[in-house]
Amino acid sequence: MLFRKIKGVRIEGNKQMSRCAPLRDYLDPPVVSIPLLQGMSVLKPAVEVGANVKIGDIIAYREGFGAMPIHASIAGKVTAIKKVWHASGRMVEAVEIENDHSGALSDSIQPEKNPDGLDKEALIQKMIDAGLSGLGGAGFPTYIKYQTKCPIDTVIINAIECEPYLTCDFLMSIKYPEKLVKGLHYFMKAAGAEKGVIAYKAYNQAVEDAVKPYLERFPEITTFPLKDVYPAGWEKYVTEAVTGKTYPKLPSQVGVIVNNAGTAIAYADMVENNIPLIARNITITGEGITNPQNFYVPFGIKVAELVALCGGYQEGLDPKYAWYIAGGPMTGKAILIDDLVVNDTLGAVIVIPTPKEKLHPECLGCGKCADACPAFLTPTEIKRAYDMKDETAIRNLQADKCIACGLCSYVCPSHIEITDAVVKARDSLKKGA
Amino acid sequence: MARFAGGKAPFLRISDQPNQGTGIIMRDFMIGLAPVILFSWYKNGIQVMIDGNIGFFEMLYPLIFILLGGLMSLIMEGITLYIIHPDSRSLKGVMAKLSTSYPMVPGLLLAMVLPLYTPVWVLIFGCFMGTVVGKMLFGGFGHNIFNPALIGYLTIAVTLTGVINAAGGVFNASEVLVDSYAGATPLTLLSRIKELDYDKLVAPYGTLWNFFLGTIPGALAETGALAILVSYGWLVYRKVIKWFTPLIYVGTVFVLSWFIGIASGEPGIWFPLYSILSGGLMFGAVFMATEPVTTPRNPLGKVVFALFLGVFTVLFRYISTLPEGVATSIVFLNIFTMPIDNWTAVIRARGIKKQTAIKASVFAVLFIALVLYAILKAGSMYTAFIQGPIGIGGWF
Repeated sequence: MLFRKIKGVRIEGNKQMSRCAPLRDYLDPPVVSIPLLQGMSVLKPAVEVGANVKIGDIIAYREGFGAMPIHASIAGKVTAIKKVWHASGRMVEAVEIENDHSGALSDSIQPEKNPDGLDKEALIQKMIDAGLSGLGGAGFPTYIKYQTKCPIDTVIINAIECEPYLTCDFLMSIKYPEKLVKGLHYFMKAAGAEKGVIAYKAYNQAVEDAVKPYLERFPEITTFPLKDVYPAGWEKYVTEAVTGKTYPKLPSQVGVIVNNAGTAIAYADMVENNIPLIARNITITGEGITNPQNFYVPFGIKVAELVALCGGYQEGLDPKYAWYIAGGPMTGKAILIDDLVVNDTLGAVIVIPTPKEKLHPECLGCGKCADACPAFLTPTEIKRAYDMKDETAIRNLQADKCIACGLCSYVCPSHIEITDAVVKARDSLKKGA
Repeated sequence: MARFAGGKAPFLRISDQPNQGTGIIMRDFMIGLAPVILFSWYKNGIQVMIDGNIGFFEMLYPLIFILLGGLMSLIMEGITLYIIHPDSRSLKGVMAKLSTSYPMVPGLLLAMVLPLYTPVWVLIFGCFMGTVVGKMLFGGFGHNIFNPALIGYLTIAVTLTGVINAAGGVFNASEVLVDSYAGATPLTLLSRIKELDYDKLVAPYGTLWNFFLGTIPGALAETGALAILVSYGWLVYRKVIKWFTPLIYVGTVFVLSWFIGIASGEPGIWFPLYSILSGGLMFGAVFMATEPVTTPRNPLGKVVFALFLGVFTVLFRYISTLPEGVATSIVFLNIFTMPIDNWTAVIRARGIKKQTAIKASVFAVLFIALVLYAILKAGSMYTAFIQGPIGIGGWF
């Protein structure tokens, strides 16, 4: 249909800042504070203050939806359970571990003797035991995707990273292509899928070059280049581009599971070495950072430490006129105080100076927001319905389909906070239901 | 530990970049008007002076007239702001407000659709109706329901056409001398003779080529189809307007006119071409039907809006007593912008499903009914063909 093809918008990437610097491992920080919050669920701590933990020991449990254990990311002593700043913009409880630099591994971390002999159940059980949640940004527990009752024929690895500034998934993919391919292989076994696809952005030819040598062993895995548009990394966009199918709610409805590249690499480690999810990749970038870089860090590390490794803030940067963004620039959150710890969903910290204030006119009704919306919503109508508190209208206008990608505000020529209004309208529906 | 600025996602905005934003859109719109204004100046000023029918200062008059419209509109908006807005009781306050409300546009557009010899006081009256009544009383830029320029135009058309005709009307000093025009524009001729005959409708003005170039009598800027196409290209290139709105609008009129021609026994392609090239259709399609504030926001809404515009233009043109259908149909459909926008937004978000089928079929049924009515009614006006053999023309 003419008006129902997701077009996407080309956004200036600004990726060159951190693209060329290699992915740097920084796995032995003096102290970590692992936040006791995942998505919307508060975690229950399983260690006492004063206990000694090794890398990979269980320190907390996620309960209810997506129940699974959470592990220590360094070895040392639990010194406190106190509040820290979290990427969600709130303060949350965190388990503070002081590093003893012994690097002692938990007993559970052992090479798997026969990883290829594992069956579907065993592979899914490994996701649960390792506490695997998506590293793309939503932090959805991975095993829930694989417990679906729908038949799955394709697993897609999302190495697209469509947000501007972010480069850590790209660098992760070219640094560990073998793990990426193997992770996808295990994912396919866990799902019972016949096909695997690695989707990447067309200009990131390096990803294809890196994985190509490993694909000979896995003929059922192919690569798929995608256009450089935003939001090309959205599950629905990837699924539609790769398989040509579109789904109403979840990709499993058309037999597809989409996983992030970082998740696949972590999963390869889990299956072969039983290493739980304790570290992730992160980009520290922006015009406000002296020397933007990408890191591979344990959960709970302080971002300020990483910023210092990047040479600190750009000289002359006035924090009052700069944003400190947790996440990508399109969907992230402005954090007011630069005292943040890395959690499982934090893929980037971006420091950019705020743009100059301009005088903006009122909405002129150009309809660029409706045009750009990848979910085919009409943001102006949703905003009007929200202003009038008309819940039926908001529901009719399908505000719940909003993915908060931020494109409507991005394209708005009058600088209206339209994304904010639509997201609020969407959340008002959730509260009502 | 430093304290950073707050803000809302997304942190990148097109409007923050230099040379982007609503101001630039409006600037591009003004640039888009330039080819049409220049053509109108050429046709009604320069060419007439070359013919030796007017002097140098009269040659400048068309340009001055159009710019005067913009200026009057600006002044009136300034005065209105000064009176009704408590925080703009100073020159500076008024200027700040004016800088983001683009006050020149209605006056410019209005002057461009008026006949050359419209008395200046009529223009000022039109600017008053357009800017003050049509725009400011609704709450100013972004809040008006009707196209301000067309409000001004319709008021003048309804009340002061006689005054304009007495002052000289649309014919410039050269056109008055052409006998074959017989004091009529193509569309007044059509509504007068009610007969589809190439020799009577097109031949007095030369060929259809003259219609395309715009060297036929008509309001200041509405005749130059070629100049309007140039503007259309620019506006689409700069993404000021959606490419399909004017195309669907003009296309609907074209197809419908063709059907009407066939229904009345005149299957030639000249009639639909004549229909889209005469009068203000092209001008209205490019500059008025795409006006963002008063038309639907979402693309599907724009399509529906343009389709209905096409049908209503044909209806008003061939059935009402006014020779022009464009202004009336645009203002008439402006009333329905909100419901069209709302319904199409729902249809677009859901796709055509059980829940939206009713809304979609209301549009479809209404559209088809209007199309049939227009063909039967208009066809029957021009010939006895339908009334005779089929015998249903009399029902309407």
